Amino acid sequence: MDSFLLAATVLLPLLYLTATIAYGQSFFAESPRAGMLAPWVLRGALLLHAAYLAALWARYQQLPAASVSQATSLMSFALGLVYLVVEWRTRERSTGVWLVGLVLFFQLLASLLVGPPPPDRALFHEPLFALHVSFALLGYVAFAVAAVYGFLFLRLYRDLKAGRFGTFFGRLPPLAVLERMMVWALTLGFLAMTAGVTLGMVFVRRIYPDQWLTDPKILTSIALWLLYGLALLLRHLHQWQGRQTAVVSLAGLGTIIASLVTVNLLFTGFHGFR
Amino acid sequence: MASAEPDLLLVGLDHRSAPVELREQVSLAEEQAADALVHLLAREEIHEALVVSTCNRTEVYVDPRAPGAEEVVVDQVFRARAPEAAEPGRLFVRNGPEAARHLLRVASGLESMVLGEPEILGQVRQAGALAERVGAAGPVLGKLSRAALAAGKRARAETAIGEGAVSLGYATLELTRNIFDRLEGRRAFLLGAGEIARSAAKALTERAGLQITVTNRGEERLKEFLADFPQARPVPFEARGSGTAEADVVIAATGAGEAILTATDLRSAMRRRPDRPLLVVDLGVPRNVEPGARRVENLFLHDLDSLDGLIQKNLRRRREEVPKVEEIVAGELERFLRWWRGLEAEPLVARLQKQAEAIRQRELAAVLERFPAELHEEVEHLTRSLVRKILHHPSTRLRAQDEERTLPQLELVRELFQLGDEEE
Repeated sequence: MDSFLLAATVLLPLLYLTATIAYGQSFFAESPRAGMLAPWVLRGALLLHAAYLAALWARYQQLPAASVSQATSLMSFALGLVYLVVEWRTRERSTGVWLVGLVLFFQLLASLLVGPPPPDRALFHEPLFALHVSFALLGYVAFAVAAVYGFLFLRLYRDLKAGRFGTFFGRLPPLAVLERMMVWALTLGFLAMTAGVTLGMVFVRRIYPDQWLTDPKILTSIALWLLYGLALLLRHLHQWQGRQTAVVSLAGLGTIIASLVTVNLLFTGFHGFR
Repeated sequence: MASAEPDLLLVGLDHRSAPVELREQVSLAEEQAADALVHLLAREEIHEALVVSTCNRTEVYVDPRAPGAEEVVVDQVFRARAPEAAEPGRLFVRNGPEAARHLLRVASGLESMVLGEPEILGQVRQAGALAERVGAAGPVLGKLSRAALAAGKRARAETAIGEGAVSLGYATLELTRNIFDRLEGRRAFLLGAGEIARSAAKALTERAGLQITVTNRGEERLKEFLADFPQARPVPFEARGSGTAEADVVIAATGAGEAILTATDLRSAMRRRPDRPLLVVDLGVPRNVEPGARRVENLFLHDLDSLDGLIQKNLRRRREEVPKVEEIVAGELERFLRWWRGLEAEPLVARLQKQAEAIRQRELAAVLERFPAELHEEVEHLTRSLVRKILHHPSTRLRAQDEERTLPQLELVRELFQLGDEEE
């Protein structure tokens, strides 16, 4: 099983890279063949990814989110799955290169950060804790999707403002659709994160009653939660429009990545994967 | 014997060879085209005829029966309407496969004034239907017009020759589509009721179902606009601020010498609808909208230069598609020519015999086992002999008729026995 896990950590980034290139060919070069090939490569990659996560679960007998590598890989898988469903429902492949590119980024990170076996922690066997982790990861994935739509929104917005009719013009969904998808993903992410943070509070008060205020990951998560909440509130109050919301969604993704990598690797604390 | 290539003839003029005044004179409305076809068919030089007449071209395709068909077409269709059409350099003439290729290129949009424009395909379809209705299109021109439609459809389906707006009205629509989804029922506010405003209104209403509100300083032109667009709602010129605030798309196309929408006006309008983006298209010269409005959040201001940039980009893209369309035209022309060659008697007889032999073998295979083994050879011989004898007389007659090149009869045989093209 260990050799399969090792092979998968190498194969998964390669498969996602192939899918990203195919989606890129479909978007930039408008190659119909690449457009047909890309979803099949992605499906194959996700199938292998599902087997990889199942093998991790079987190997360590706990939710495969016990290390930075495992959590990032789980996020990558969830993001890929979400995109595949969106593509299947909407028949819209124009955003594939960006979203699958992000899947590749997360899986590459996961493969590079593969380390020693994660500690066997009792917490990871608790169903409620699994729910906390699932909600947190769902929130992150939704925020990542929002960031991708936010990025595309900003590109198209700027092109339309400046009268630049380049690569993005005419190939992406309309601005209104990108904005709606972004806000929808932000709202879903915020709700999931609210649930994740609330469940996390239950554990933290029970297990680490004195330390939680000093944990950088908790503080970052709360800051993110506040940032997204504020963005949605200002939007609701008609103070912010698509552009500002898109900027926040991009800044949010940057913070998530920083939180996943920097905070987990550089800071020591009770919470996370150290 | 039938010739190796079709004896087609094309005589015509188009936007490259004739000015609009001349094109207008020789242009044929449907009834006139039907009349011209009937008169052409009455001549012994002409066997079949097809007329394609649009604002940019009048072209007559004929399958000639005897020499002199070109003069007949020039006299009856062109010189009779405008003597100067027969002056050197005005009319172009193509013969044989080149005439066929030209119709395929026309249907594909390669010969259009605006490369890849979509209307021509419908016009070629109407021309073919008219020729068939009056009995002017027989097997050859009927097949040719179907080949042209196939080429035109493939060109639009398989290449980007017809993609992207290449007029101001459609460029406005393309911008609208990149900002909003579900265009049906969205509001467009037109400042101005002249020709440019009309072309934009036409694209927005016909292609996207937008609701039109219109204002104009002059009453007369506004009335003319409303006669053409009765569903449009007129508002006083002074109410242009509220008209702008309610709209999703604003099109300014007046002859005003100064800005009729300032950045302040637009900022104030946007405050009244903060959640919705606004597309403002300034088609006026001098410009009708203060350029500083570009900085207003969620507002997209485009002027003539900007739209021209979009049109030029789309035209460049269409030009890049020309080689692919040429390939499609060549492919469909080759199919047509193969069909034509298949009308020669000898290949037709060969296919008829091949088909009969295939039927014989299939039927025999189903029943042969019921006969004793010693009779198999005899049954084989009997069935083969039957088929040969049944086909002997039709084959001999077909070969004999080849001397007179009677295409309709040969085509009838093809249809009766469902012989199809070689590749089918």
